[in-house]
Amino acid sequence: MKLGPALLKVHLWLVLGFLYVPIVVMAALGFNASPLYALPFEFDLVWYRALAGNAKLIDAGIHSVGIALVNTIIATALGTMAALAFARYTFRGRTVMQILLFPPIAIPWLVIGTAMLVFFYWIDVRRGLFAILLGHVALSLPYVIVVVGARLATFPRAVEEAAATLGATPWQTFRRVTAPILAPGVIGGALFAFAVSFDQFVISYFLAPPGVTTLPVEIYGAIRKGFTPEINAISTIIIVVSMGVLLLTARFYRFGGER
Amino acid sequence: MTVADRRNRGTILALTGPAYLWLTATIFLPLSAMLYCSFLDKSPLVPQPASLTLRHYAAFIEKPVYQQLMLWSLELGAIVTICCLLIGYPAALALAKVIKGRWREAMFLMVVLPFWSNALVRTFSWTMVLRPGGLADQAIHVVAPGAPALNLLYSYPAVVIGLVHSYLPYMILTCYISLQAIDDSVIEAARSLGARSWALFRRVVFPMSLPGVLAGSALIFVPAVGSFMEPRILGGTKGATLGMAVEEQFTVTANWPFGAALSFLMLGAVLLICLVLYPPARKRMEGL
Amino acid sequence: MSKSISRITRRRFVAGAGALGLGAAGALGAPRILRAQGGKITVLNWQGYGTDEAWALEAFNKATGIEVVHDYFNSEPEMITKLRTNPGAYDVVLTNSAWNGVASAEGLIQPVDTAQISHFNDLNPSLRDSALLAKDGKVYGLSWVWGMTAIAYNTEKVSPAPVSVEVLWDPKLAKRISLRDDAIEAVSYGAIATGQDMNHPADLAKVKERLLALKPQIATLWSSEDEWNKLFQSGTFDVAVYWSGSAARSKTNFKLPVGYFVPNEGGIGWFDGLAVAANAPNSDGAHRFIDYMVDPTFYVEWATKVGAPASANTKANEQLPAEDVGRQIHADQAAIERLQFMAPLSDEERQAFSDLWTEVKAEFAK
Repeated sequence: MKLGPALLKVHLWLVLGFLYVPIVVMAALGFNASPLYALPFEFDLVWYRALAGNAKLIDAGIHSVGIALVNTIIATALGTMAALAFARYTFRGRTVMQILLFPPIAIPWLVIGTAMLVFFYWIDVRRGLFAILLGHVALSLPYVIVVVGARLATFPRAVEEAAATLGATPWQTFRRVTAPILAPGVIGGALFAFAVSFDQFVISYFLAPPGVTTLPVEIYGAIRKGFTPEINAISTIIIVVSMGVLLLTARFYRFGGER
Repeated sequence: MTVADRRNRGTILALTGPAYLWLTATIFLPLSAMLYCSFLDKSPLVPQPASLTLRHYAAFIEKPVYQQLMLWSLELGAIVTICCLLIGYPAALALAKVIKGRWREAMFLMVVLPFWSNALVRTFSWTMVLRPGGLADQAIHVVAPGAPALNLLYSYPAVVIGLVHSYLPYMILTCYISLQAIDDSVIEAARSLGARSWALFRRVVFPMSLPGVLAGSALIFVPAVGSFMEPRILGGTKGATLGMAVEEQFTVTANWPFGAALSFLMLGAVLLICLVLYPPARKRMEGL
Repeated sequence: MSKSISRITRRRFVAGAGALGLGAAGALGAPRILRAQGGKITVLNWQGYGTDEAWALEAFNKATGIEVVHDYFNSEPEMITKLRTNPGAYDVVLTNSAWNGVASAEGLIQPVDTAQISHFNDLNPSLRDSALLAKDGKVYGLSWVWGMTAIAYNTEKVSPAPVSVEVLWDPKLAKRISLRDDAIEAVSYGAIATGQDMNHPADLAKVKERLLALKPQIATLWSSEDEWNKLFQSGTFDVAVYWSGSAARSKTNFKLPVGYFVPNEGGIGWFDGLAVAANAPNSDGAHRFIDYMVDPTFYVEWATKVGAPASANTKANEQLPAEDVGRQIHADQAAIERLQFMAPLSDEERQAFSDLWTEVKAEFAK
């Protein structure tokens, strides 16, 4: 059993390494002089300088992050609530409701996006932030519900019941017992909700008002001309800043479920 | 119906209502319209009136290539899910049971952070790694000079690598949050009763973490079946999926009904597989 | 009912976003209210396809006071979808020779008032008066640029310079060939190689057989110009079907050793027209913008600075420097004669081409 944990630890580090391979490559190519990702590597800040003067791309980045943040807050709140209901109560229609989480994940985004575009046109929801958020939150919800649900399914209800038996009010039980239990699931769900929204192309492509773009729209739309490593530069900045903010948060709040 | 039940009903409604109203207005209704559209002979919005037909579903049966693509897509989804499980579960176990303290939160975040970037950019980065003479080749040559070139790009393994990379965090996270919920005292108790490590894992730890395994598998298998970007860029001609065919119906042929029919057939197949596999897994969980 | 609900909630969302310090995201909701005011037009086009060059929009704004806003499409069917679902949102829209007729038949675009186009008489008559951009004798798309989808090759690796479409099937170039992952383009080249009408090949089985024979040849399929350049640069392929304006751009801007030719058997020609959307809020501004787009000053700067297809304005092409790569590619009269121009396809034809290409790709994957 001594060898086991050590091996597991090595495995985890290897997996983390694997996850960061394309990220490191992406960051490196942002510092490479070639617009076509050509090697050998030649250090140059030309893409960062170009990015500094590219208001359109910076705006797109700000839109993407902003939409993703608002989306994360809404989707995490609503999704956690639904997951709680599924885990704590048995009721008619529960299975159907859970199965209904499949279509938003299974149907290709292009099909959902097109359906949404046409439907919003019919019911007269205008293109804009509201329409984009409607779509992003809906696509993030299944991820949040499933991830939080996985946490709740493992956790015994008994802990909460014990708290209640000991005289805690429902609110106290939630704050002191349920919330800490939920934390890893909720944080995990939120992280995915952000990721889903941040890389969601079709919804913004169809529903953003003319003149307003997001990063994915800039990237996937570059069929004719292509994108420059400015994209790598801005992606790197966003990842590094997020990492800083999140690790700092992790320094002060325990959400990993340490008991 | 008891009073408690009625009170529960209010709570259930309050908890699930917002999410499902949102989903209904934004996904279920538009997708129902799309489902209806898959039975029409013309795309909606076309000025000519449309009539009902089954011919798009018939086309799937008449044209074997689409069945072939469906099988390939399901196979690809299964391979990716299994790879993610084999790689992700031990990583989650390490994170939940070996890593302690502040490191755990940090690593938990580090697992998901790569995905706060753009999939297309990440995939292009993979091409730099996998192509002949690319970074993977160079890295191997540092360790073993004279090793033959890998030449992975534009092969089926390249598609699997790209997709496993894209979906691995789902498996690690869902398994982690399940594993972490298992009280160490349960494990200690089992061990004090004389359970050996392997038996302990097989009899106690793994069954208790099944909810996470199932959630992760669903979150990977379901979208991976519909993937088309990674297969196209990393697979070259070797990555043919039904997702590509669906996309083509919307961007080339302007045949929404057929594209919709293919998507719903894919959804049906995926649902069927999940529903067949779920009950035995649940029995395993309940048999604790 | 639904409209009033959506408006209220949207305002609340915008306010919420602003409170969170997401001022920029909050601005997303605004353009809808601002529009319809005189000094602004909205253009629907491919991203990075001439109309959205920052320097051009600045110059146009200086000359006219009109601000130009863009929305993009990634495929022609999506262009039509966007027009259908956003009536009155666009002023100018790019339609090509194959799709202009679809848009005009549905009333999605209105006739261009050619009297407002000062360069009208300088446009190449064979494009300007083409039936593909007209309906009922009226111009529905002002011909703007034209180009070819022909074959590019690596001049450092392929010699002598190929002249025939057979180069795609040359066994010496096994695994060195690339096509765009596009059903219509692939079928077109299959038809050209089998001596058939590119737009309406009579014998699709022959086309399929020819495309299947490409299996040992294809290195990979490409889907964007950016990807093409990266693949070419990394030596993934030596010969590939490519757009003419892009070939010029690869050679001029990226210094890639690109050679370009229209096969003896023929090549794909296409031309793009700028159209005025039906119910354009600023039809006046739309016409001024279209006129600016066929102006030689704009075109020469676009072609030399960025790289572009050929202008429909013959005077504009003549003003390009003699050594300009694009000019050399597009001035070859004999090559132009060999082009077949893309014509509208029926839904059935598009579906048949798509099925065929899907089958071929599935065979490639085996």
